Formats: sequence, C-alpha cells, structure tokens
Amino acid sequence: MEFNENQTAAIAAPKPAVSVEKPELINGSHALIRSLIAEGIETIFGYPGGAIMPVYDAIYDYQTEIEHILVRHEQGAAHAAEGYARVSGKTGVCLVTSGPGATNLVTGIADAIIDSTPMVCIVGQVASHLLGTDAFQETDVIGITVPITKWNYQVTRADEIPEIIAKAFYIAGSGRPGPVLIDITKNAQQELMSKAFSYKKCETLISYRPRIAPKQDQVEAAAKLINEAKRPFVFFGHGVQIAGAEKELLQFIEKTDVPAASTLLGLSCVSVDHPNYVGWLGMHGNYGTNVLTNQCDVVIAIGMRFDDRVTGDVSRYAKQAKIIHIEIDPAEIDKIIKADAPVVGDAKRALEMLLPLVKENNHEAWRAEFKKYDVIEDEKITQPELAPTTEKIKMAEVIRQLSDKTKGEAVVLADVGQHQMMTARYYQFKKPGSFITSGGLGTMGYALPAAFGAKVGAPDREVVAFIGDGCFQMTIQELGTIAQKGLPVKIIILNNNFLGMVRQWQQLFHQKRYSFVELQNPDFITIAKGFGIDGHTCASRDNLNESLDKLLASDKPYLLEVLVEKEENVFPMVPTGACVADIRLA
Amino acid sequence: MTTYTICVFTENTIGILNKITTVLTRRRINIESLTVSETERKGISRFTIVIHHESREAVEKLVRQIRKVVEVLAVFGYLNDDIAYNEIALFKISTPIGAKPIDIETINKVYKAWVVYWHLTYVIIQKTGTEEEIFEFFDYIKPHEILEFVRSGRVAVSKSPQTLVDYLPEAEWEYYQ
Ligand SMILES: Cc1ncc(C[n+]2csc(CCOP(=O)(O)OP(=O)(O)O)c2C)c(N)n1
Repeated sequence: MEFNENQTAAIAAPKPAVSVEKPELINGSHALIRSLIAEGIETIFGYPGGAIMPVYDAIYDYQTEIEHILVRHEQGAAHAAEGYARVSGKTGVCLVTSGPGATNLVTGIADAIIDSTPMVCIVGQVASHLLGTDAFQETDVIGITVPITKWNYQVTRADEIPEIIAKAFYIAGSGRPGPVLIDITKNAQQELMSKAFSYKKCETLISYRPRIAPKQDQVEAAAKLINEAKRPFVFFGHGVQIAGAEKELLQFIEKTDVPAASTLLGLSCVSVDHPNYVGWLGMHGNYGTNVLTNQCDVVIAIGMRFDDRVTGDVSRYAKQAKIIHIEIDPAEIDKIIKADAPVVGDAKRALEMLLPLVKENNHEAWRAEFKKYDVIEDEKITQPELAPTTEKIKMAEVIRQLSDKTKGEAVVLADVGQHQMMTARYYQFKKPGSFITSGGLGTMGYALPAAFGAKVGAPDREVVAFIGDGCFQMTIQELGTIAQKGLPVKIIILNNNFLGMVRQWQQLFHQKRYSFVELQNPDFITIAKGFGIDGHTCASRDNLNESLDKLLASDKPYLLEVLVEKEENVFPMVPTGACVADIRLA
Repeated sequence: MTTYTICVFTENTIGILNKITTVLTRRRINIESLTVSETERKGISRFTIVIHHESREAVEKLVRQIRKVVEVLAVFGYLNDDIAYNEIALFKISTPIGAKPIDIETINKVYKAWVVYWHLTYVIIQKTGTEEEIFEFFDYIKPHEILEFVRSGRVAVSKSPQTLVDYLPEAEWEYYQ
C-alpha cells in the first residue's frame, strides 16, 4: 500500500495549515510517527528522555492514532513489545532515549532475537555533530546491538526516516522474524524534511530475500521419507506459530497419523487433547517423547532449531533416524543436527506443499508406545504432583487448577525457573497461541512486562502470568505500568522463597550446597497494594480453589501469591550433557 | 588446518565490517587476513577473508551465518585451488654506504619484485604473489637488513567461468565506466 501526502494527512492529526503551492514540510519526529501509523502500529511501549524528546513532543499530537504505554524500565518496554508481538503476530514497537535508555533494552533485544520475535526498537541518539565525542548519554548502541539484532541502522537525516522505518518493519516481520533497532540522532528528529512526506511499505530488498515457498524437490524428498517411515515422529516448534501453520500442522499429523511432540515455544500449537499429541520435548519434557526420540525412524522437525535444551548430547540424539528439517532460516539447517531432507521455507507453505504428497496412514501401534511411558510418568511424577499428600501446596496443582478453571484457553505466560517448567508441564493448552515465555535466553523478569504486552495484543483473552518470587523482583516495578493502564492481567506468584531452579541444580549436582539461592522476600501483596493493585496470599490448599476463583473473577489486574513447597524439584529431567533417552524420573 | 578464502559481497554501508566480523569472532574463528573494497558495481563491496579451519562443515555453517546479515548479497567459501589469488608486500631494505649491494637483476627476474622507491640509505621493494612466494622472497632478502615489512590481505577471484552477476540477485547494477 502506498501512502501519499494527502492520505497520511487524513490519518494524522491536523498540522499547521498546508498552503496550496508549497507542500507541508514536517520534521523527522512527525515523519517517524506518521510512518508508524502508515505501518498500522497502534501501540508503542516506551520511556522518554533527552535524546528522544522531539519524538515525544510529536507523539503528543497523535494520541488518538497511537497509544503510548509508559513503562517503568526500558527492559519492560522490550518484553512488553515481545509479549504483544507473540500473541498478536504483529511487530512490537519500543521507543526509548539514548545511552542508558538504549542499554536497558539490550536484554529484551537479545531475548527477541533468540526467540525470533518481531520488534522494532526506536532509539534516540545525540545530535550528529556530537557523535563520537562521548557526549552526554551517547552510547554506541549500533555497535552494542550488532550481534543481537536482525538489522540495525543509524539515521542522521530526517529525509531518511520513512524509508528506513519501512525497511525496519519489513525486516523485523518477514522471514525468520527478529528485532530491528533504529538509532535516530536528535537533529534528524528535529530538522524538517526537504520534501513532502510520503510512505511506501517495503516489500522487497535486494540483499535480503527470505525463502517462503520451499523447493518442490525438497518437499518431494521429505514426502518420500515420510511415506516410507514405520515410526515417524513430528517435532514442532515456534516456527509453526510464527507462520500461522497450526491448521496445516493438524491436517498433516491427522492425515499421516504421526505422533507429534512440541518444543517449549511450540506448546499450544496442538491441543493437549489431540490423539496424536504426545507431549513436550527436551530437558524437562515428557518421558516418552524423549525416550522415543531415540527409537523413531524419521524425525519431521517443523519450525524448530534443535536447541541444546531439546537435544541433550547431540552425539547420542536420534542417531537411528532420518531427519527432515522444515525451517525458514537456511542457517539453521545442519547447524546442530544434520538433515537428510532439508526443506527451506515457511512452515505453512511447506506443509501446504507436503500435504498432497503424503499418504494417509495408520500408526496406531507406534503411537500407543508413548502411552506406556505416559503411564510410568503419570504414576511416578504427575499424580504425586497433582494430588500431593504433603502439607504444602505444589506448583503443579496451582497450575492445573487454573488450567481447569480457564478450560486451557487462557493466554499463559511463565517467567524463568521451576515454575516455568511446571507451567509448561501442567497447563493443558487447548488453543493455539496461548503460551508465552522466554525460551532461548531464559530471561528472568520477562513475564510481568510480557503479560501486559500480551493483554494489549489480545484484550479479549484472559491473560495469566506464573512468576517465581525471584523473577518477580527483577521487573516488579512494571506493576506501576499495569496499574496506570488498568490492564486486567492476572499474576500468580509461586513463592518458594528460593531461586528454585538454581537450588534444584545445587541439590542434584552440587551436593546440596545452597549457595546464595535463598531469598528474603518482601510482602508482595503490600507492594501490589502500594501500586494500587489488589491481591492476596494463599497459604493453604484449602483456600486454593477459592483464591483462584477470586483472581479470575476480578476485572482488574490482580496478584495472587501462593506459598508453595520450598524444596520441590522438576522432573523428568535430562541433565545437561546426558542423552535424551536417559531422562531421569527422580 | 585448511585455508579457506571467504568472499562476501555486501552493500557498502557504515558498520557492515563490524556486522561481518562479529559472526566470526563469536565463533572464535580468527581472521588471518581481510581485504575490502568496492567492486565494479557501485555500492557493492567485496570482502576477502582468509581463515584457517579444520572442519569444512564448520566453514559451510559460517558461510550460512554470514549470509544472514541483511546487507550481505552473496557469500562464497573457496579452497585455494578454486581461486586465483595474490597479496602484495612492501619491503624497506637498508642500503647504507658500504653495505652488500642488492642484486636488482635477481630481484626482478627471479622474484618478479620491483624497487618502487630509492633513497640514499634504503630502498622499497614491492613484491606481489601468494603468501609462499612472498615469504620465499622474504628469506632471500633477509640477509639485507629489513627495516620494515608489510603484507596486504589476500585478493582473490574464483576460477569458475561464472561471473558475480550470475550469483547476485537480479537488479539494475550500475557499473563503473
Ligand atoms: C536475568 C537472569 N539471571 C539469572 C538467571 C538464572 N536463573 C535461572 S532460573 C533462576 C531461579 C528463578 O527463581 P524464581 O523466580 O524464584 O523461580 P523458581 O525457579 O523458584 O520457580 C535463576 C536465578 C536467569 N535465568 N536470568
């Protein structure tokens, strides 16, 4: 779509009168905001400061078109943009000042690149003539973010802005999505453009050409392997959700009758009820999925990247199987696991092309093998977790009760640690696009800001975040953002007074030397109340049901703290460097 | 260890060097030499990067990772046999009065090297060739005092008859006249 000056003027708030002869010349800041509007952006997560003040001045005029959400720390802006992007499929936008504003974004940018989350970060910079002089709040943010952005660029002239912003959104949102950072010097924000503003969306770039449709011969080779397989096994990942390929994935597994397992970020793409769904892969994944990884004859990996948390020791990983790898990023092919049949392209297109080529099949006996392991896992782990005989509440029962109450249909976030793994294990995902967590970077402090970002992206869905007591204190200040916007996110702190996951490792691998993992926690409810957010603590199993009802009944943001067992461990577990088939049950 | 020459074609933009070298340094791959200049097409730079590596597979992965950089148009990894390549070296040799005279004829005819600057007490000799040829000459000239020695990075073109245009995305390339 092309926007000429008249169209954008109609979208934008009235500006100084346009004379007939002379085109209206706007400054770089207005050009930036109009570019964002032309791009369809409705929400920005940001934090102002000296080097971005001209843009903030401009935003003031466009509040009916663009909602700006003032976070409490720039890391919060980044994670909120991620949460927004993950749930809506749109690109998240952050706006921050130079120097410390930009460096505070760094963790969020690193998080977004490894989890392929589309995000555009707009950062103020000192004026061009000050660049390289160690001016006040000058930081080489371009240099800092080279390894963690999909693309970055420094704008020094107002005239560049529309084209660069168009490029930024195209790069961030296409192919394998990722974060893009645009650094804009203050003079570029202030100066007038030399010509009338116009905006043209970017649809192609000469040097960047993601392959959407895979090559036919690659798809045919994959289909042949699938049709000949006796014990085929689908591994699906985040790429399925990014491509919006959930429907095609279902059609594929139903037609071929292949068992399918999920990576951490693939969770919710297939409903846990589906007869072909066999569970979760990797370090804290399910027993059967891990063991049978080493017994299948063909792996059909779709939109996943064989992360080390999935594979364990690669030299003992699925060695017996032929590997089909469907992946949009060619650099992922053979990176960790050599593919016998690589299919480079978008998961949706690949599955669409594959579907007519694969035969209808029946793998009932093979699928039944997973059941045997499920029975063992259920007896040894799941039942004791869900129906404990111990006095203290267990994380699993909280999560499962919430799952039941929300019918498995909420947007669920998890921060990082034991509670994250428990959420992945015990929430019964029924609806695609329902699980948001920091997978690749494992960023503590992710969930609270990502949760309100997700609520903005999916206002009609129930949004619930499970957060550890350690994680919560990393971005606790975002309660302020939630309160100010009145965003009805539901927060559940699973408080074990420990950095639980680290404590688990210390228990298992460091002879129980609990080195600096015990927390003296504040009164979370008082803190929430101080921010104007209601909440209460649940300390006994008898109150859990009622506590969760109260949380869900609220039409405002609500914080529920649940005091859980202090020294609980997440099992099953594939210890680092172990083989997936040697997964431990205790 | 095998020597690989990696040719990277990029848009000629600020910061691209950093974007490319980051891909290597992150993977702890040392750059033996690096040469960059604009190609015959305006706005397109060519990087010639020489690395040593044990694993061809790792180099192939590296090539794919470099290709991911948005400004990169094409990347090729070559073995020495696949390319015509050269370096240029300058030697500043001490020639004070009374020193052993330098043998210009051998320098020219045997080593295909040229004196490019004469001074009263030293000369500057230019030698182009492969790394081996340059070091052969280095050994020859060493008995004369070497005041300074500098070697450029490698430049290389593939021996294949295909030209760059065959690989680059279609575009209206603007050429230098
Ligand atoms: C920013 C950051 N620092 C440190 C870690 C290492 N780490 C991973 S899990 C974890 C403990 C999390 O504790 P808590 O939030 O209480 O959750 P629990 O494991 O007890 O459920 C730590 C410290 C991390 N992932 N991120």
